[in-house]
Amino acid sequence: MLGRAVLVQDVRYALRSFIRAPGFTLVALLTLALGIGGTTAIFSIVDGVVLRPLPYQDPGRLLRLTRVSPTGATDSFSAADYRDLRKDVTTLSAIAAYRSDVVDLTGRSEPVRIIGMQTTAGFFDVFSAPPLLGRTYHETTDQPGAAVAVIGEAIWRQQFGADPAVIGTQVRLNGTPTEVIGVVPEWLRHPSKSDTWMLSSLDVPTSPLGMAGGNDSRDVHYFSAVGRVAGDRNLIDAQEQLKAIGDRLARDVPTNAGSSVRGDPLAASMVADVRTTMMVLLAAGGFVLLIACANVAGLLIARGAARRRELAVRTALGAGRARLVQQLLTESVVLAIAGGALGLLVANWTLDLLVQLAPENLPRLADVTLDWRVGLFAFAATIVVGILFGLTPALQSSRPELNADLKEGGRHGTSRTGMRNVMVVAQVALALVLLIGAGLMLTSFSRLRSVDPGFRTTELVTVELALPLSRYDEAAQRKFYMGVLERLRANPLTAQSAMLFPFPFGGGNAQAGVEVIGQPEKPPEQRLTADLNSISPGYLRASGVRLIEGRDFTEADGPDSPPVVLISESARREFGGKNPIGEKIDLGDPFTVIGIVSDARRRSLNTPPRAAIYLPYTQFVLPYMGAMVRTDRGAGPVASAVKAAVAEVDPDLPIGEVKTMEQMIEESTGEPRFRSFLIASFAMLALLLAAVGVYGLISFTVTQRVPEIGVRLALGASPRQVFTQVIGHGLRLAVIGVVLGLIAAAGATTLMQSLLFNTSATDPVVYLSLAVLLLAMAALACYVPARRAMRVDPMTALRSE
Amino acid sequence: MIKLNSIEKSYRHGLSQTFVLRRVNAEIKSGDFVSIMGPSGAGKSTLLHILGMHDSAWTGEYWLHDDPIHQLSAKDRMRLQKQHIGFVFQSYHLLDNLTVYENIDLPLSYRDVKKAEREGMVADILDRFNIVGKKDLFPNQLSGGQQQLVAIARAVVAKPSLILADEPTGNLHSDQGKEIMELFRRLNEGGTTIVQVTHSKENASFGKRVINLKDGWIVDEN
Repeated sequence: MLGRAVLVQDVRYALRSFIRAPGFTLVALLTLALGIGGTTAIFSIVDGVVLRPLPYQDPGRLLRLTRVSPTGATDSFSAADYRDLRKDVTTLSAIAAYRSDVVDLTGRSEPVRIIGMQTTAGFFDVFSAPPLLGRTYHETTDQPGAAVAVIGEAIWRQQFGADPAVIGTQVRLNGTPTEVIGVVPEWLRHPSKSDTWMLSSLDVPTSPLGMAGGNDSRDVHYFSAVGRVAGDRNLIDAQEQLKAIGDRLARDVPTNAGSSVRGDPLAASMVADVRTTMMVLLAAGGFVLLIACANVAGLLIARGAARRRELAVRTALGAGRARLVQQLLTESVVLAIAGGALGLLVANWTLDLLVQLAPENLPRLADVTLDWRVGLFAFAATIVVGILFGLTPALQSSRPELNADLKEGGRHGTSRTGMRNVMVVAQVALALVLLIGAGLMLTSFSRLRSVDPGFRTTELVTVELALPLSRYDEAAQRKFYMGVLERLRANPLTAQSAMLFPFPFGGGNAQAGVEVIGQPEKPPEQRLTADLNSISPGYLRASGVRLIEGRDFTEADGPDSPPVVLISESARREFGGKNPIGEKIDLGDPFTVIGIVSDARRRSLNTPPRAAIYLPYTQFVLPYMGAMVRTDRGAGPVASAVKAAVAEVDPDLPIGEVKTMEQMIEESTGEPRFRSFLIASFAMLALLLAAVGVYGLISFTVTQRVPEIGVRLALGASPRQVFTQVIGHGLRLAVIGVVLGLIAAAGATTLMQSLLFNTSATDPVVYLSLAVLLLAMAALACYVPARRAMRVDPMTALRSE
Repeated sequence: MIKLNSIEKSYRHGLSQTFVLRRVNAEIKSGDFVSIMGPSGAGKSTLLHILGMHDSAWTGEYWLHDDPIHQLSAKDRMRLQKQHIGFVFQSYHLLDNLTVYENIDLPLSYRDVKKAEREGMVADILDRFNIVGKKDLFPNQLSGGQQQLVAIARAVVAKPSLILADEPTGNLHSDQGKEIMELFRRLNEGGTTIVQVTHSKENASFGKRVINLKDGWIVDEN
């Protein structure tokens, strides 16, 4: 009871003392709010993306199943491999295959293009999500081929006006009449976001190319799989069994030689690519918080020095050291709690901004929210921060030298600037580590953006033109794309047009193992895998990819003419030194090489150009092609022109996304841009806080030393000498901090190496230039108090003494 | 009550040693009112702070109520200090952020006195010192004399048997100084032992005994 009363009293005194020192309180609160707020915002992103368990029952039992190719790359499943796996696996209670697709929702008002997922019946056995309405489909209740679908909450609200009567109604999904059997909540968006889940007509997803998915082909890999570990088995059992099945298939099936099967925890595998980024960002936030702590600790030490008389009096009146430490810690925790509350506001605003800036493809971005988990983190951070920045000043200030302190009234503080010096050195060192981290990221990003992808990226507009397989067989697809292209070329606005698949930086891809006819056969792991591209005549001219040798495709390269291909320069080495022109490669059928084109980066700017094979769109047509238009008129007019051309060929077909190539490149570099922006923001904040810290210390020291400076001036020191001495003090500390920071950065930034593009984690130019920048900031921070020291009036200073 | 045997205090400066107090022997009985006098630098305040246990870097023997202070740990000294001693400073040393009431309450809160009991004790002191009307004011709203009055009230609230006062009237004009000394006399008559450091013979005349110090030595005692 007594303890609580004392605590209440301490809190009351603390609040009063902060109100009576508004300058100190404002600076401390602002510093803490920025430190705690920034870290909390970053934590909420890291929590949502990496740490938070998936919202399903026993989420740790969910596995993503992947096929691992002989080269170690993860790969999709073929129908035959998946069937073998499913037949043999006993450690999974549920297993499902799925394939994402764009889906045209028709049969209501305007056709709408949504994201769909075609799955096998076990999908909702793996992801047990109670539906909002109706039911979900399951292995035991639904047979492949039943034309049923589950829709997501968002589509249900947007397209069906949240009408409960949607259950049992028929809609057309990609032209197929399908019964809506259930609505699932918005949080069901794993392993990837979808608007509708459609039961496959087969025991595997149907092929995107319209080929018979039910065949036993092991060569066409086109879908993914997930599983749930059975209740009586553990994760390790399941992983070992999956590997054993994969190894057996590799032994028994010649085309699977060297490949394997892996089961990775789903949550971890979804964010594997961004885990390092997230941890680096969290560390950067932690650094800013530490700098903020050091800053406030410095302020408190200065305040403690000014309060020496008060603490001496309290001691003289009977306060023990523990009692004083308790009081001082209470003050710092009260300050931290106020800073933490403001920090939550800062986090709330910052988080909205960060989510808007975050790349759309950041996994689990929709799971990011400021909820009780984040609140708990902020609270814990606040208390830890309060103790962290309060402890050193409290321990130091609670040991007053009674005799001297009572006589001098706390004016002599110079003997106790030691710990403040340490705080300033720590701030400078931490700020430099962050600055160097940011400098490396920005250098890397700048180098990434200046990479020449191998084609002209300006004045290029892309339009997705996916076709529903239910209405378009191969001949119809070819006819559609040829018809649209013909109309586009007839329009002066879109005269320089081409059809292609896939769009560079668009995420889609097709690959094939390349075998040159007449060359010795290579083992599977040494065989070249090339990117396959389907293009129309005019693509090279529109995109700016150069023809190096041979000829381009012409309208004469039709479906019935001899199969031909263009190859990229990187594929040339497969021809054993011979001129590839006129040679044949095996892509199921023999294709004659008629030309060689320049290499181009198509997947991402940081992936070196891969060997590529270009086929005429008339000979290798896919239902996912798109139009590429070279124009200086922008995306809007192109979209209208393409829409009109499509409507002439198929009035029921909506066009897909319209983007400029620059937009696509922007999106493909979204993640490095996001992390560079965040770390740069943290570094700027750290620089500012460190500058405030240096300024605070030097200003405090000058105030404490006014009498001494007065004596020096009275004894003949020039104002310039005083100025130099004050600046020298600040710079000495900054130099120590910079040296320590350089050493720490050399260690810390090696963890970032995997995130850097064409940039060494120990790039000396970055290190040195940022060290100089920090020293310049420190000098600037010392300048104002040093000028004040120059202007000390010896008479006034000595009289006050 | 207090017995000092060969108390010495010195500072080292390299190889040399400067003595502030030399072989100080003295005895102060309960109910005494002693004034320590002497020129500046004689060691008066140093001796007072040793008596108040604010200073522990000295040699010799110091007995307080038969307790050997020179042998006790810092914790035990603190316990005895809380139990027996109240301190009054020349510069009052009231805490600026606390009201008159809270300043007086402070020593009691450090002695873990229960809140209800504290309220009674502080109310009694406010009444005795006739400062009830000022209890919610902050120190900067009081005159120097009023501040010292509050400081003395704060020193006596925990009912110490010994009050140590370091030039308690040094910052006051003569009328205020006289009032404060009258207050000390009344406290002494009530049984409280008082030891004050003063430069003023007039103030010393309120006491019963004077110890004169010079260069750290007791030169005269009457």
